Amino acid sequence: MIRAIDVTKAYHVEGRLHRAVNGVSFTVSRGEKLALIGHNGAGKSTLIRLLGGVELPTSGIIEQTMSVSWPLALQGGFQGSLTGNDNIRFIARIYDKPFADIKAYVEDFAELGKFLSEPVKIYSIGMRARFAFALSLAIDFDCYLIDEIIAAGDQRFQRRSHEELFEKRADRSMILASHMGEMIKSYCSRALVMHHGRGNLFDDIDLALRVYNDL
Amino acid sequence: MRDFWKDLDTQRRVVGALLVREIYTRFGREGLGFGWILLEPLIFAIPVLLVWSVVRNPYEHGVPLIPFLWSGYLPLLLFRHVGARMLLFVRVNAGLLYHRQVTIFDVFVARSLLEVISNLSAVAASFALFYGLGWVDLPYNLPMFYLGYFFTIWWSLAVGLIIGGLSERTEWVEKLWQPYSYLYIFFSGFFVMATWLPEGIRRWALLQPSLQAYEMIRAGMLGNYVKTYYDPAYTSLVLAVLTLIGLLLMRESRKYVVAE
Repeated sequence: MIRAIDVTKAYHVEGRLHRAVNGVSFTVSRGEKLALIGHNGAGKSTLIRLLGGVELPTSGIIEQTMSVSWPLALQGGFQGSLTGNDNIRFIARIYDKPFADIKAYVEDFAELGKFLSEPVKIYSIGMRARFAFALSLAIDFDCYLIDEIIAAGDQRFQRRSHEELFEKRADRSMILASHMGEMIKSYCSRALVMHHGRGNLFDDIDLALRVYNDL
Repeated sequence: MRDFWKDLDTQRRVVGALLVREIYTRFGREGLGFGWILLEPLIFAIPVLLVWSVVRNPYEHGVPLIPFLWSGYLPLLLFRHVGARMLLFVRVNAGLLYHRQVTIFDVFVARSLLEVISNLSAVAASFALFYGLGWVDLPYNLPMFYLGYFFTIWWSLAVGLIIGGLSERTEWVEKLWQPYSYLYIFFSGFFVMATWLPEGIRRWALLQPSLQAYEMIRAGMLGNYVKTYYDPAYTSLVLAVLTLIGLLLMRESRKYVVAE
């Protein structure tokens, strides 16, 4: 379970305090899939970084009783100047998993071929998405934090992610920030609609999407 | 207790992984690679030492010049390199914080470990070289030399923590570090021994941990040539307080980190 209680993150913007996330509370149980919906700048990515422990909340509490992935986003999580293989080695080491197994999985899933021996900074966005996703699946978490990244891949990648995450690992939790209504409808059972840092929880996805479209 | 050992094991693993990563990113994987760890400080140290030893008299205030410079320059390099590596290091490494078992303290430990290993290898290698050339003698009092070097390392790391933490808060630290690290040559104790100072000034100068460490190194290195002044208990106390301040500042800086 993950529980967020009155979580706020404030930054200084032009000398004034800006609350990117403002008093958000919710709970995600094991196996549950929560969508984060909101316009750009509504606070979705900040909330995901807070849940991943990358940044610390200014106030409020985040509790977790399951293992939570790092935020799978278009940026962050890798050392750009190191090769894919070196990044795999580093991550396998810190998560205490055998390098050979992780590498075999990533090779199979990400289909990056010889690019694994090239620096990650030269990867295209789609390649990066596949790489990040493959690595986090190989490490195996109870809950995945996904910030838009599935949409960055091609059809084949989206189909394979679907298989891996929603069929083989249907018992896992997920927090998915996305603008894609179809994806949210088919995967998520609840939604947190975010607007100017505030969050409203909906049990009805269709209603949540309608509210978002009217914002 | 079991959790403690588990945490310690995680930390050991993380620091190890960070160390390897740091070596790859800094020294690359081709050419000399890890060999740079040794060569980098030597490339700095040897020409400077050679030039100085040619320009100056072989004895300064009755002190043999090359051992004096050698024992001054390598601690200076450590201090300056650790400082430079710690400026804004939380921000620079924010990407690593994507993985929650990596703490900012682990990053600090890995970075400083690499600097210290690199510096100590240079100490050993340059000593072997100079000893082979007959320019330096074996230290007069080896444990005292080690004690002085231990305090040099501790002092460098404590200052590293403080400027690492403070530089995340205000740009002043980054701007002031450059002039400070140059002027440091003159007041750290690299060029000046406490015994050369007038008594009134000496008392104040010895408040500095760097001069204390240098005096111990010189006592170990030169022995009878000079009178030295040092107080390991005082130095430990000051460094413990500075370390505590540094750790608090670093923990505080975590709040200001904005990941990419």
